[in-house]
Amino acid sequence: MVKALMVVLLVVIMAPLLGGLLTGIDRVLTARMQGRVGPPVLQPFYDVLKLLGKEALAANRRQVAWALGYLVLIIASLALFCLGGDLLIIVFTMAFAAGSFVLGGFSVRSPYSHIGSQRELLQMLAYEPVLILLALGVYLQTGSFMVKDLFHQSQPLLASMPLVFIALLIVLTIKIRKSPFDLATSHHGHQELVKGITTEYSGPYLALIEVTHWYELVLLLGLAAMFWTHPLGAGILLALAAFFIEMVIDNICARLTWNWMIKFTWTGGIILCLINLGVIWVLRAGGV
Amino acid sequence: MITGKYLVAVSIWLPVAAALLCWLGQSYSLRNIVSYLTGIILAVCALGLFLSGPFDYQPGEIWGLSWNTAISAADFALLALILYIGWRQRHKLIIILAAIQALLLICFDFGLGGSEIEPVPAFAVDHLAIIMALIINIVGSLICIYGVKYIAEHEEQHPVAKSRQPRFMFWLIIFLGAMNGLVFANNLYWMYFFWEVTTFCSFQLIGHDQSDEAIGNACRALWMNSLGGAAFALGLVILLRYGGGDYLSMQYLLSHHTAAGATGAILLAVSMLVLAGMTKSAQLPFQSWLLGAMVAPTPVSALLHSSTMVKAGVYLILRLAPVYAGTYLSSMTAIAGAFTFLAASVLAISQSNAKRVLAYSTVANLGLIIACAGINTPTAISAAIVLIIFHAVSKGLLFLCTGYVEHEIGSRDIEAMEGLADRLPAAATIFTIGIISMFLPPFGMLVGKWAAIESAAQLPLAAFLLVLASAVTALFWLKWLGRMLEGRPGAIAQREIMDSHYIASLGGLTAAAVLLSIFIGPVVNSMVTPAVTQYYFSPGLEANLETIAAGSGGLFSVWPLFILLALIAVAAGFLYQPRKVKNPPVYLCGENAGLPESTVFMTTGENMGEVKLSNYYFTGFLNEARWSRVVNRVGLIMILLLLGVTLW
Repeated sequence: MVKALMVVLLVVIMAPLLGGLLTGIDRVLTARMQGRVGPPVLQPFYDVLKLLGKEALAANRRQVAWALGYLVLIIASLALFCLGGDLLIIVFTMAFAAGSFVLGGFSVRSPYSHIGSQRELLQMLAYEPVLILLALGVYLQTGSFMVKDLFHQSQPLLASMPLVFIALLIVLTIKIRKSPFDLATSHHGHQELVKGITTEYSGPYLALIEVTHWYELVLLLGLAAMFWTHPLGAGILLALAAFFIEMVIDNICARLTWNWMIKFTWTGGIILCLINLGVIWVLRAGGV
Repeated sequence: MITGKYLVAVSIWLPVAAALLCWLGQSYSLRNIVSYLTGIILAVCALGLFLSGPFDYQPGEIWGLSWNTAISAADFALLALILYIGWRQRHKLIIILAAIQALLLICFDFGLGGSEIEPVPAFAVDHLAIIMALIINIVGSLICIYGVKYIAEHEEQHPVAKSRQPRFMFWLIIFLGAMNGLVFANNLYWMYFFWEVTTFCSFQLIGHDQSDEAIGNACRALWMNSLGGAAFALGLVILLRYGGGDYLSMQYLLSHHTAAGATGAILLAVSMLVLAGMTKSAQLPFQSWLLGAMVAPTPVSALLHSSTMVKAGVYLILRLAPVYAGTYLSSMTAIAGAFTFLAASVLAISQSNAKRVLAYSTVANLGLIIACAGINTPTAISAAIVLIIFHAVSKGLLFLCTGYVEHEIGSRDIEAMEGLADRLPAAATIFTIGIISMFLPPFGMLVGKWAAIESAAQLPLAAFLLVLASAVTALFWLKWLGRMLEGRPGAIAQREIMDSHYIASLGGLTAAAVLLSIFIGPVVNSMVTPAVTQYYFSPGLEANLETIAAGSGGLFSVWPLFILLALIAVAAGFLYQPRKVKNPPVYLCGENAGLPESTVFMTTGENMGEVKLSNYYFTGFLNEARWSRVVNRVGLIMILLLLGVTLW
């Protein structure tokens, strides 16, 4: 119990530092790819500190409550992950967190915010099956849904589930709001969308959402690291490589429509998972 | 068991007496008192049954006649009545199906001498039946209390020459008695009788408003359920012909399934009963009767969808699960259920009528429950029972709240519920809790779905369908909830005055949805586990269920998440203090016109425009009529395969 609380405390403190730093690195590398110098690595922290000092503006209490829900539920998912919990429950808790973010966007009477929320819902529809299939794959391979049981595996998950890993990369693009899937809200203002879900958030409340994105980034990269648990260093490298791939994709792609996203994930992503799971299932049934 | 006997008798006869009183009494205050009193007594009965535990009960004789004869006579009388209705409505299908049932019954009673055979005991109240009784008598009673007030308001809005309220309450309350009989019955012949009574009650309730649409939909419900009734009767005939009189006892069937290995004929009979369950639970391609039932006043929908009628179908399928365990019938049932879960969830996305969204969601969740029964592992069966309990509470709550809102705002359209959080804050809060409890952690439905997906890993195709469906459900729930939460900057919530009937029923069900989820551990340990272990003897099962219950060893536990949710609610109060926070106008690219709280903007040619918001429904792609045809065909093929594999 005490140990669990320590882990949770560590997650709450360390994850945003790590996430913010990664975001800073992302901004520098992205700038370099575009031939710019870019901001200092610590710029995301400066941004959030400045936002925290600004005047509090909001439409109503529920808008703030759902943003807070987004933060708390993402922390809860990350804590469950770090405690080695059940992958399906982690995915469902993440879904609640994303839902909370969506409802925050719906709580105001802004057209931009509403379009953002509708699109975020479509994004959830796009990636949710892949994440649940990932959990099923882990179960088929290891006989357990628990993250902690992955550490008893001699062989890295990547060896048996390479296609699922590729599907996870697609999910990552959607979840960390990178092109071509930055449909609901993005790092840059867009013409038809302004800032999507976050349009009506400002000051400390926007800071809340920024910090949540940091936690979420750490959690998502954790999912990538899960594919290589022995030694954990390899997993971390794998996650960082995945993050770098996302940056490259972001910089070479234009935004696409949600129709395209759904078609792409429901065919490409899901078929990759199914082929991979099918192979595991057949091998297991064959007793290999 | 002396007290148990009375509890069973009261659960069945009290609703009959109360219904008659409502019908003959004709006064509002009488209906009021009767519904409250009946509700309280029935709830106490159900709790008494829960405390007393399982028992058998064989009633004696009535006026020198055996009860079996009385039930036979009542069966034929009911079929004659249905035939008469079919003739009066000039509805061929109803007539044909009722005639088939009558022939099967004649064959059963006189051809095979079924009326002489009486498997004992007539009633076997086991753990699963007790769970069902708790649902029927508590959730159902709350709906009846709500119904008294609702139907009075309904008649104010739709005046009729002669009040039909007594008639309405008659069928509503008697429904509970029939359901109680159905779940307690061990003699399948008796169960068939109660099965037919629930069909007839729902026919009467759906057609309540007597409009052409209502009568048409009531007839559809009647013929589809008569098809199920005919399958049930055929199942009885096969059981008696090829199995013998003993097989008419549910307990015998359950305890001899392994020895008999569910031989061809018995399995065929079981598949007939499963088919009957699927029609009653409105599985594809039979979902249209439940969607048509939406024309009835809302308490009817609430009752049909949560605690009665459709739950009878899944109850029968779940009850029989140990009999067909390990057969192809079981796998096909799982796949058919999972397919319904997916198809109905997808169709729900295209609906803007709140009641139709709820109806599709019911069909979907029943599909999930049936899929669990088909997966047929101890964990899957526990998941199914958990889903039955929590679905009854949450769906009842959502229907009642929809009905209340419909009376307040005059519409059941989701788009008309825009900004409900400021107009009817209590209703919006109830909706929020109800919707979240349908599919998100840490609520009971999610725990059930979680266990379902975990156990489905054994059956890849079913698992795949469940995964897709699970992702789809979030879409239609959240976009509906989003419409209600919308609010203008700085809008102040209006005061909302709710009638005491609504406070009692909505409050009771909201509390149940939250408290049962918080105490899901004890619920699983004291109710669900005993219901599963009585037929599934598997070691390690206890440990498996403990993970849901106790969350031992760092596993998932619902407590921390509930504490966090409470924390969010409290902290939001501190983070947003109305006096300290400014409410700026909505961002409209600097073209705002009019008052700060309005969303009027300057458009082309110095004209003013007002922002209009609406949900995505994808009606172009998700054309309901077209897709219904497609999924109905797939559903039909699945049903044929399901019967085909048993014959083969």
